[in-house]
Amino acid sequence: MALELTDANFEELALKSDKPVIVDFWAVWCGPCRIVGPVVEEIGEEFAEKAVVGKLDVDHNPEIARKYGIRNIPTILFFKDGEVVDKQVGSVPKQVLVNKLESLM
Amino acid sequence: MARNLDHSRIQQMSSFEMLANQVVEGTITGLHKSPFHGFSVEFAEHRQYNSGESTRHIDWKLFGRTDKMFVKRFEEETNLRCRLILDCSSSMYFPKMNEPSFDNPNKIVFSIYAAAALMSLMKKQRDATGLSLFTDKINLHSHAKSNSVHIKYLFGELEKILDQKLLNEDQKTDIPNSLHQIAEMIHKRSLVIIFSDMFDDYDRADKLFQSLQHFRHYNHEVILFHVVDKKLEEDLHLEDRPYKLVDMESGEQLRINPSEIRERYAEMSAKIQHDLEMKCGRYNIDYVRADINKGFDGIILPYLLKRKKLH
Repeated sequence: MALELTDANFEELALKSDKPVIVDFWAVWCGPCRIVGPVVEEIGEEFAEKAVVGKLDVDHNPEIARKYGIRNIPTILFFKDGEVVDKQVGSVPKQVLVNKLESLM
Repeated sequence: MARNLDHSRIQQMSSFEMLANQVVEGTITGLHKSPFHGFSVEFAEHRQYNSGESTRHIDWKLFGRTDKMFVKRFEEETNLRCRLILDCSSSMYFPKMNEPSFDNPNKIVFSIYAAAALMSLMKKQRDATGLSLFTDKINLHSHAKSNSVHIKYLFGELEKILDQKLLNEDQKTDIPNSLHQIAEMIHKRSLVIIFSDMFDDYDRADKLFQSLQHFRHYNHEVILFHVVDKKLEEDLHLEDRPYKLVDMESGEQLRINPSEIRERYAEMSAKIQHDLEMKCGRYNIDYVRADINKGFDGIILPYLLKRKKLH
């Protein structure tokens, strides 16, 4: 299950985590986001112990989206120790995301 | 009377059923996807609209609903570029027959149908297809495109060769020169598929191999379909009586008795083929022997396997 991240809890849940973190920036009106969403949920379940997997609605949390310069959605950012280390824009197969996440472990 | 390609047979050859028979796993479309974005196939993401850029791809429905200006971006399927090269020299019109057909082909008719089937498959897969025909010079060198008008034009060109089956007497071959020229004319990396009986002067075999290597030098992938009539050309399956053999390209005549030369002939023939196979192996060219008596089953699979490897 992916975490619901917001402007308020982003720092606490994502940046301060000692595990690798992936965050899916999405919006309800975006078709491709609805394709990526379930994939991210699946990854959240599979990597529940090893990583933090979260989703952030860019409409309701504009601050974080602006901070990371999110202009395309879906965008998935990969964090390690509070820093962005990788980025994936657009809908891609699950394996691409899994490979990127595993490379951070 | 004009001869037409039997389209129903081509369709049949490239049908999914046939592919299934050949144990090709997976679906045909979508064997490969490109990481590049275009505006054609699958909707992949929304990007914020920047003022000044084209309004063509703005998601107006979204704008209507939410006042947000976003551009739709799509994932484009890459097209593989394929070039079919056909040897149309007189030797390809062997065995000489009045009405070569799909079921009873000579080498050229076999090659035409095989090329047409591949073309039909490429069209289904949206691969750009080009056609080159050569004898001792280049007779045709088309662009590589994937639209149906272009494919229709290529089918038309193939039908023209079917038509002139008897017009091509004494048409000599110059495989090395022709292949060199074609290699120079293909500018983008392609899958090159050659149909030829590879009958050229054995004395200049090195030149022939160099011309094949030329394609590899430009990073093209190559499949060579060596079109043979094994029964007559290799096994010399003739009755035991004196024969007069006539070279279809030079007109040179030779009187022989098959039984006297069969053994030596088979030996030489095997050596030539072995050389060709070895050289192709060395240059990473897929060598496929296509015996016209054995049907078209072995034609499509090598193409699909190579294609899969490319992506």
